[in-house]
Amino acid sequence: MVPALPLAGFLLLLVTEGRLPDKAVAAVGAGSVGLAALAALVVGVQFVQGGHSEYALTLWTWMAVGDFAPAITLYLDALSLVMIGVITGVGFLIHVYATGYMWKDEEEPRGYSRFFAYMNLFVFAMLMLVLGDNLLVLFLGWEGVGLCSYLLIGFYHKDAANGLAARKAFVVTRVGDTALALGLFLLFWELGTLHVREALDQVAAGALDKGTITLICVLLLGGAVGKSAQLPLQTWLPDAMAGPTPVSALIHAATMVTAGVYLIARMKGLYMESPDAQHIVAVVGLLTLLVSAFTALAQTDIKRILAYSTMSQIGYMFMALGVGAWSGAIFHLMTHAFFKALLFLSAGSVILALHHEQDIFKMGGLRTKLPVPFWCMAIGSAALVALPCTSGFYSKDAILLTAYETSGWLYWGGGVLAAGVTALYTTRMMALTFFGESKTQPHDSSHAKFARERIHMWLPLTVLAALSIGGGWLGFGVLDGLLGPVGAFSHWSPVALVTMIVPLFGVLLGVLVFGGRIDVSGFVASKPGGWLRRFFGSGWAFDRAYDVVFVKPFVALTRVNKNDAVDFFYKVTAGITRGCHYLFALTQTGRLRWYAANMAFGLVIVLLIAAAWL
Amino acid sequence: MAISIPVEHVLYLAALLFLMGLAGVLVRRNVMFLLMSLEVMMNAAGLAFVAAGAKWGQPDGQIMFMLILALAAAEVAVALGLVLQLSRRFQTLDVDAADELSG
Repeated sequence: MVPALPLAGFLLLLVTEGRLPDKAVAAVGAGSVGLAALAALVVGVQFVQGGHSEYALTLWTWMAVGDFAPAITLYLDALSLVMIGVITGVGFLIHVYATGYMWKDEEEPRGYSRFFAYMNLFVFAMLMLVLGDNLLVLFLGWEGVGLCSYLLIGFYHKDAANGLAARKAFVVTRVGDTALALGLFLLFWELGTLHVREALDQVAAGALDKGTITLICVLLLGGAVGKSAQLPLQTWLPDAMAGPTPVSALIHAATMVTAGVYLIARMKGLYMESPDAQHIVAVVGLLTLLVSAFTALAQTDIKRILAYSTMSQIGYMFMALGVGAWSGAIFHLMTHAFFKALLFLSAGSVILALHHEQDIFKMGGLRTKLPVPFWCMAIGSAALVALPCTSGFYSKDAILLTAYETSGWLYWGGGVLAAGVTALYTTRMMALTFFGESKTQPHDSSHAKFARERIHMWLPLTVLAALSIGGGWLGFGVLDGLLGPVGAFSHWSPVALVTMIVPLFGVLLGVLVFGGRIDVSGFVASKPGGWLRRFFGSGWAFDRAYDVVFVKPFVALTRVNKNDAVDFFYKVTAGITRGCHYLFALTQTGRLRWYAANMAFGLVIVLLIAAAWL
Repeated sequence: MAISIPVEHVLYLAALLFLMGLAGVLVRRNVMFLLMSLEVMMNAAGLAFVAAGAKWGQPDGQIMFMLILALAAAEVAVALGLVLQLSRRFQTLDVDAADELSG
């Protein structure tokens, strides 16, 4: 029921081919997801009242090949319930916002219907991903999500750079998907089933040896890393900012990047059996959160800052999965969905008001001119920074303290350091955007005004702001019961205190630096400072490295093999056939008498042969 | 049945007629003459049948000739239609004008 609604919305928008009036499109696009959210709520209440009984609904058998008969089965347990809640809930708010954001869009005025069709398909694919009972269904949703992200990142298709960004996202995630597919093949080869619960039961019963489990885990992790933009497949995410802002919000908050976290959480039983694989997950998360936090420090595009902060927050989730804070990871996934959607949507409001200006150095002093986005962004930033009492604080604390307890000071220290840097770059973003002197005036065109005044633009913002603050309590109230204790802040200890203080310190430092109290311009202008800034600004030069290592050699190879050596054999065969054809065509003169003569001549030959033979 | 002609002579005549017809088909360009040559060839074949039937005293040869007559009638009916089309489309009776299917 829940995934059927967005699918219906998508199909309706698809078959009408943009002939519906824009208002109807908005109603269908946002309404279908809204109804899905309501349905998810009803399902959730039933689930809690029904004593957490897991529930599987088989729709039909997909295909039957020998013993292998994967069914399209929807499966609901606590984990998928939380996921569909986040996807439909946050997704709905983003859809509502997008009805205003994309209204009479300047670049793509006729794309309104297309936009919502893609968005609905996106939500549907993500729901299939999390509800799939079977890894094959999960893979189907997984690829659907990849397709939709490609379509939406390249939504402004008139600019070639956007198409390039979309292609990059598609190709880079495809690398991860290949690993995932290999992992699934291996799992099926070993166990003969792709059914999640059966597979996990078999693994728990010791059907596999440790090495195989680790290999499968690493391959699955490869897929998760690609989808969730973790090291080393993270390069597509910043470029994915080419899409419209609601798309960025949807990708970062409700769908897509959380898929990797979900996959690992779903295969928990497998990872539990292999400490090595878990260790790798934690290291990937730790490295990503550090690298991307420092990268965000040097970005100038407001959306790219948020993109890198997403990578860093997903890094926390991976680290949480790696150190065994399973419910902590899902908790952070949920709170992150709230505050990251909030941040993106308020950034979208700012961008819209400034006529698609995204450079924070060209903003400034917007606090009084754009009060609603300012307050919403401030709340979202507070949650991102994990200031006490916001939702981000509880979830991040839960992760860091579990990391300290189970895996020692290294993970904890890295996480806390990154939390400090997060505070620093968030403060920088806020200071440059909303404080200081004004550099760009908000446009008072009817479009921008519309964006600020229409209720469906600021209502989602306020709802998300409330969730960003209060989401932590939701975590304790609901998630504790559903997923087991999220293991948060329970007692005072030096470690807990430091975890809490560091972000505050980061904010303070940020205020001092960007408020002009501490002068760092000397360092930035100096040679190592400039080098560091460029290094961070380019995302630790990953793009250039991949370009040199993979893209350039591949392009060179294709240039050498332009005429395709393998194809040569087939081309020769085709050439011979064609030559014979021309030869025979020559005999076809169209002259009747010539044909008759040939017939007579042939007859004579036949008769002569027959005579000689007799 | 006073005078009996040796069957070989008749067959020689049939062969001669057949070759004359064939030469006509190959040499003439006018479609009317082409068709007439075709008739000569068919009658040559018919003559050979009749001669053979007479030699063995069987009616088969004459029956075959009847069939050849029927075939000739049908052939003429179709061929005259083709001739009409040819003259209408190309304003000529030259068969080589209709070589549009050449490869």
